[in-house]
Amino acid sequence: MHIKIYSITVMHYFLYIFNAIVVFFLAGFMSITQTKINISMSAHSFLSSISAPPFSASEIIIFSSCSFSILIFLSTFYRRCLLNQNNQRRYILLALEICACLIVMRSINMAYDGVILLVVADLVSGYRGKNQRIILTVAMLGLYLIASYNLIDLRLKMIPLDAYISYYDQPAQGILKAACNIFTSFNMIIFVIYMMLLVQNQHQEKERIQSLNEQLNTANEKLRNYAIEAERMAETRERNRLAREIHDTLGHALTSIIAGLDACLATIDAAPAFTKKQLQVISDTARNGINDVRRSVKKLRPDNLERLPLKDALYQMIREFSSASGMQIELQHECWPQNLREDEEEVIYRIVQESITNANRHGKAAHILITLTEENNWLKIIIKDDGTGCENPVKGFGLRHMQERLMLLHGALAYEGHGGFTIKAAIPLNRGDVYNDKNNDSG
Amino acid sequence: MVFNIQRHNLKWLLFIITICIISAVFFYNIHTPKPEETTIRLGLFAGSNWNVPSGESYAVIDTAIKNFENSHPGVKITYVSGIRKQDYAEWLAERILNGDEPDLFMVLADDFNLYSSMGILQNLDSMAENDSSFDTSAYYQAALDYGKYRRKQYALPFESMPTLMFVNKTLLAKENIPIPKDNWTWQDFLDICRRVTKDTDGDGTPDQFGYYDYTWQQAAASNGLQLFRNDGKFSYFADNKMNDTLKFMIELKKTNLGYTVTAKDFDMGKVAFRPFTFAEYRTYKPYPWRIKKYSSFEWDCIEMPSGPSGRNTSELDTLLIGMSSRSKHKRITWEFLKELCYSSETQKLLPSLSQGVPVIKAAVESNEAKQALLQDAPGEEKMNLSIISDVMQTAVSPPKFKKYSLAMLMADSEIKKIIDGTLPFNNALNKVQKQINDLLQN
Repeated sequence: MHIKIYSITVMHYFLYIFNAIVVFFLAGFMSITQTKINISMSAHSFLSSISAPPFSASEIIIFSSCSFSILIFLSTFYRRCLLNQNNQRRYILLALEICACLIVMRSINMAYDGVILLVVADLVSGYRGKNQRIILTVAMLGLYLIASYNLIDLRLKMIPLDAYISYYDQPAQGILKAACNIFTSFNMIIFVIYMMLLVQNQHQEKERIQSLNEQLNTANEKLRNYAIEAERMAETRERNRLAREIHDTLGHALTSIIAGLDACLATIDAAPAFTKKQLQVISDTARNGINDVRRSVKKLRPDNLERLPLKDALYQMIREFSSASGMQIELQHECWPQNLREDEEEVIYRIVQESITNANRHGKAAHILITLTEENNWLKIIIKDDGTGCENPVKGFGLRHMQERLMLLHGALAYEGHGGFTIKAAIPLNRGDVYNDKNNDSG
Repeated sequence: MVFNIQRHNLKWLLFIITICIISAVFFYNIHTPKPEETTIRLGLFAGSNWNVPSGESYAVIDTAIKNFENSHPGVKITYVSGIRKQDYAEWLAERILNGDEPDLFMVLADDFNLYSSMGILQNLDSMAENDSSFDTSAYYQAALDYGKYRRKQYALPFESMPTLMFVNKTLLAKENIPIPKDNWTWQDFLDICRRVTKDTDGDGTPDQFGYYDYTWQQAAASNGLQLFRNDGKFSYFADNKMNDTLKFMIELKKTNLGYTVTAKDFDMGKVAFRPFTFAEYRTYKPYPWRIKKYSSFEWDCIEMPSGPSGRNTSELDTLLIGMSSRSKHKRITWEFLKELCYSSETQKLLPSLSQGVPVIKAAVESNEAKQALLQDAPGEEKMNLSIISDVMQTAVSPPKFKKYSLAMLMADSEIKKIIDGTLPFNNALNKVQKQINDLLQN
């Protein structure tokens, strides 16, 4: 793509350079011929053959080179405006460019109209859509009407190139006329090649847009499939969670109750007192089970996290828990990670909640310290209590549950039971950015 | 990448444009004189416009320059001297091609239309209108008209040259014929010619003639004939007046009895009439030319004979001075143009220092002019000065368009054939008109 644009630019510069050569050649030819006419004492017969006073030899050179430089300057400026999409300035520049083009042609007595193609090239490359078709047509038509020398012969008196050429002898005249024709034809060829490249470029641009469009459609389709998949996965995950909850609470309680009742069935006749005591225990277990079920149901209900931002939800939970259990819970954080996704917030909240519950239930702790730190794009959560701890902690459902949640986020979990229980969880923070397209391209 | 190339070029372009502007300003300054001293350049040729020998060709101009520089301090007027009339057209063309033609220059009759149509000559109409001290009615109309192109004034007349009929007084006295009155006609002219043409020495061939060098153009002018339409695209050779003119010319030619009169016959005093320009009169009348050339007879000048539909007129040849349309000091140049062509101070000098006739009526009728003319006339030959003024008043200015000379050349050769009798007269003029119109319209 870049190579194509580059070759168009090169062609365009070539058009500039070729026209510069022709204009300066003609200006030089005219001024040299005028000087020669003066030296050879044929000024009067030359003047008799023309209908307007010519510029002097030096004036032709200065006039043509100045106006041509201005034309190129305006043309370059115009092309820069095309990139900026500055319409108003573009039209002004175009009008000025047409004026400069006319001045160039006037300075060389309309002997060469190829400079018009420079303006036409600019016009065409600036062509945008239907509403500009009229401007394009009018401008091109006008330029060509002006250029067809006969049309304005009567109003703007020019010195025909033939008057200059006829000063020379016959063979030289032939060569000069041929040279002029070659200039015009060659300029036309360059222009046509330039146009071809331009059209080709626009065609390829169109094709590229079309293929990009197709790619976009495919990506959209994929995304839709992903969304359906994700929904299904969320459903499964929720089902698993429910299963875990039921297993944790109801299943455990019912198992204990069944085991206890079986024992009671065996002992009820032999030791009614013992059985009675056992039944009391079973009753407690059942009650605990009910509590657990209640807690689970409560968990399914929208809680703090869903109502409040993570930070407030955490504080709210700590406040509620400490007032209910009498534990001292402290939350320390250096900075609060920004742009956490919902699932990450959920995981953080659940880990803290689970750890506090564990500390209360298993460790009988009195103090809990929660620290949140951010380090090398990892969010680290450390929950440390001063409870009984556990020399060789068995991975219960709670811990495994934590681990599973963290693994979904590509995080890690570590714990130790010496002198109270300490849980260390880590969540990668840049993980979510992986799917960001912009940064992906830059990376 | 593309953007970088353009930025780079933009700097270059700005640099080139700056250089161009600086060089343009530099050249402009070279060509423009400093404002403290305004220099007006004048283009002149040496010698007389009327093809007669002239001693002090710059005398009038030099006096005018001196007067003007005195009354306009800070203005300097320069001219290149020594350009001959035959080189002048080329010299001026070279200056024009170089773009450094003089601010004011003499315009040769052949070049006037060319330079007017090319726009090299400044249109003087607006300057003349805005100048309250300038009044075109001071001019003889024919002289002023000569500086017009398509009804616009592009040059002012400097001096004029009327054509007069010169009469061999000695010959007429010998034949007992009175000198014709000023309002004489073709018929009078014919009668006198018939009477004087004879064989005096009895050798069988005539040796005394009525006229020499009287052309059909002069006859046409005195018959009130306008040969060309003003735009120079149509001719009127088939006009009845032209018919009369030709008949008259054929009659007149017959008076010579088939003998071809030469200039030598006139110089020897054997011819009664010969048209002469005023310059020739002024040149040959005074000493020493008079002795050298026409010592054998007394002569004087009268108006041209009038045709049946015309007056005693002739075509007026005029020397024009025009202003360059590219002059940078048009206002002061206009002042100097007036000094040359309008000021009666300068115009009054013409009769004594040049051979031309002033174009300002007041200057011709002034005492100085009369003195100057009488001074030259020897003895009792007092020239009737009112003739000059009358001729100037009635004169017509010849047309000037690009193909005028060519058309006249062509017409002349055809009409001479008719007068000589080599072409039959019937319908010949229609053919000439068609031929000339073809030339003019293509």
